[in-house]
Amino acid sequence: MKIWVDGRELDVERDVLLYDAMVSAGVEVPALCRHGGLPHEGTCRVCMVEVDIRGKRRLVASCMYPARDQGLKVYTSTRRVEVARRFVIGLLLRRNPASPAIRALADRWGAMDTSRLSPVEGKDLCIRCGRCVRACATFGARAISFANRGWDREVCTPLKEPTLICVGCLSCAEVCPTGHITYRESQGERQIWGRTFHLVRCSRCGDPFATREQLELVRDRGDVCPRCLREEEGLALRDG
Amino acid sequence: MRLSSPEDLELYREQLLRRVKPQRWVRVCAGTGCLAGGSQRVYEALVEEARRIGLDSPVKFQARCSGCHGFCEEGPLVVCGMRGSEVLYRKVRREDALEILLALADDRVVERLLYRDGREVYREERHIPFYALQMRKVLERCGKVDPRDVDHYISLGGYASLARALSMSPEEVIDLVTRAGLRGRGGGGFPAGQKWASCRSASGPQKFVLANGDEGDPGAFMDRSLMEGDPHSILEGMIIGAHAVGASKGFIYVRDEYPLAVENLTHAIREARRLGLLGRRILGSDLSFDVDICRGGGAFVCGESSALMASIEGRPGEPRVKYIRSTERGLWECPTVLNNVETWANVPIIIREGVEGYRSLGTKDSPGTKVFSLVGKVRRSGLVEVPMGTTLREIIFEIGGGVMGRNRFKAVQTGGPSGGCLPESKLDLPVDFDRLTREGSMMGSGGMIVMDHRSCMVDVARYFVKFLEGESCGKCAPCREGLKAMGEILEDLCSRRGRPGDVEMLLSMGNALTDTALCGLGQTAANPVLSTLRHFMEEYREHQDQGFCRAGVCRGMFVARVEADLCVSCGACAKVCPFDAIHRDPSGKFAVDQRCEGCGACLDVCPMGALLPSPRGVRE
Repeated sequence: MKIWVDGRELDVERDVLLYDAMVSAGVEVPALCRHGGLPHEGTCRVCMVEVDIRGKRRLVASCMYPARDQGLKVYTSTRRVEVARRFVIGLLLRRNPASPAIRALADRWGAMDTSRLSPVEGKDLCIRCGRCVRACATFGARAISFANRGWDREVCTPLKEPTLICVGCLSCAEVCPTGHITYRESQGERQIWGRTFHLVRCSRCGDPFATREQLELVRDRGDVCPRCLREEEGLALRDG
Repeated sequence: MRLSSPEDLELYREQLLRRVKPQRWVRVCAGTGCLAGGSQRVYEALVEEARRIGLDSPVKFQARCSGCHGFCEEGPLVVCGMRGSEVLYRKVRREDALEILLALADDRVVERLLYRDGREVYREERHIPFYALQMRKVLERCGKVDPRDVDHYISLGGYASLARALSMSPEEVIDLVTRAGLRGRGGGGFPAGQKWASCRSASGPQKFVLANGDEGDPGAFMDRSLMEGDPHSILEGMIIGAHAVGASKGFIYVRDEYPLAVENLTHAIREARRLGLLGRRILGSDLSFDVDICRGGGAFVCGESSALMASIEGRPGEPRVKYIRSTERGLWECPTVLNNVETWANVPIIIREGVEGYRSLGTKDSPGTKVFSLVGKVRRSGLVEVPMGTTLREIIFEIGGGVMGRNRFKAVQTGGPSGGCLPESKLDLPVDFDRLTREGSMMGSGGMIVMDHRSCMVDVARYFVKFLEGESCGKCAPCREGLKAMGEILEDLCSRRGRPGDVEMLLSMGNALTDTALCGLGQTAANPVLSTLRHFMEEYREHQDQGFCRAGVCRGMFVARVEADLCVSCGACAKVCPFDAIHRDPSGKFAVDQRCEGCGACLDVCPMGALLPSPRGVRE
């Protein structure tokens, strides 16, 4: 089917996500919470574009919006989009002034002036995009999640204690767009989320490459966690 | 006993109606408001005294509990039935039980417990101005039916609509609801028929119908009263909905802060199952459907459809981006219809009255009635049901009796935290989904807060933004960070820290938040700010530029001044002033000196309204 991006005709598959369609056509759109290897959530609202559906115009998160209407018109740089983008980037920059990633985004796309607002205390690099939480869940550990709500929302382990569920795989740190999640590695040990893991050495080269827990998780995932049980229950209900 | 066909139901109803009716009865309101006022003890005292004076034979006398009448400020309410008339007693205490019963036995009325308004004394509920101008359809049985007795519901015509709907094809039911023009009462006003049709045609291994009873707007209690007072009407609507869309399972999502609603609904479900109105092959039809209750933990955002479904699934109650409608992929990814409890309660009415009957009330685009909870600075507050298209003026001034005391009307806030404030110039606006939205407010679930000139509109906006800041789940950046930023500016404006440009910044942030937020909560969160900016800009300017709050609400942003012509020298103001700033002047009137800190205490106590807020520095 055909869609129009900034007046340019694109031939796309039905249900393809606008962001993917635009990027493969060479259109530049900023994004933060989106990660190619993870399920999308559309939480950062940086990738918003304006769509025209049968004359009705609205802003949508392009990383989540499936192309379904033949002849859909998409605009990536109308004034409305730019105001929205500057608003979101400005707010993120206010919270994370030290983050090079957000700074770069602001330099490229502009940011609302927030000098009127009081500076945010504490040096927090987290933009609450949730990539780490999704990565942890995708990998299978589910050791971290969001706690609290609103402004106080933060990523942490249960009760902020070192947790046995964590396998020290570094997926969270790997996908973090701002470098908020840090870890240390030295002399065959890795420290993350308040725990120390011993690294297993490669049988061939002898370099430490993964934690024992991580390898166990990959090998044997037989036990079912309460969350999955609930999901199973849901599936059972669904299937009658 | 199981009712295995529509004929069974009718036979059962006839049986119930043939039972001997008591000559005299009392009905005690057991809604949350009246219970808090002690109506349980009133009920017990009535039963106890009736036995003592020998009134307790079922032929002579019956005592029942009912749900909410919607006139909670006058509770506990007791209705007495005798010789075809129904007398309403208000503010009844346990000690009044014997007097009420003795009067009832002699067909007399206890005058002192009747409702009065000025010189008028009212015997019957329906004559009281608060009720007289209402049109009770959804709430028709609320306050009359015993919510704990399915037989009572059936004897009042209950479940007849279900039997009728089951004799129709699902498509016919959907067509009826579509043509009747039923729109979602939870706030959005989305056409219910369209929603049902899209769920009907969606494919999935299972379909769900859900009722949203997660009412959380400050000052709103329509859904609670309905769930407590007439739970079967919601169930009946849901079963009809299940038949229409082909669902086999339903959930009612009730916030756990509504324990009585949970209790009454649980009881209703149990009774419906016992009679075979829920379960396998309902009334002998092909429909098998059951309902469970899901109790919410009280997060405001769980009233948002996708967050509500996440919560039912056992995940954190956070919304998700839904460019694919939940009628296609909803609960557990199955086609799902979610309607507000009031919407569901409208369904049996539509089946009973048909398209024309239903459309005879309300406006062309918003047919039917709507329940509002009328609260704030209004003389008569409570639950109000009126046809759509009734003007705000009629609701506030005729039903509500206007503004309390000698204060002037200033604004009405409709639609809860997602709604907005409308000024006096909009009072003749007919209330329906589209008109309110056009003026920057919204219907919401039906909260209606009346404000007088002692309400500061900047402060009101601040209150709602701070409320939503606390309720934002924090998932998307604009809502999490934006509400905090807007809240900060509003706090500054309300405490003399406003700066030039604040108003413009609020406006641009509000518009951007509306555009960028992920869910309905965030997208409407700026409405209280945007609507007050639209209709009360001068007040914002005064806060920002002069540090003046004309309502005398924001502390330290005004000083009190005595209007000498109005002062009656009572001295109430001087007595309450914590700064010793008010003294009698040589003329005998009172005056405020420079020690006034602008706390507003005197403004609240002056019986004449002689104390007025004025800008600081004017007097110096």
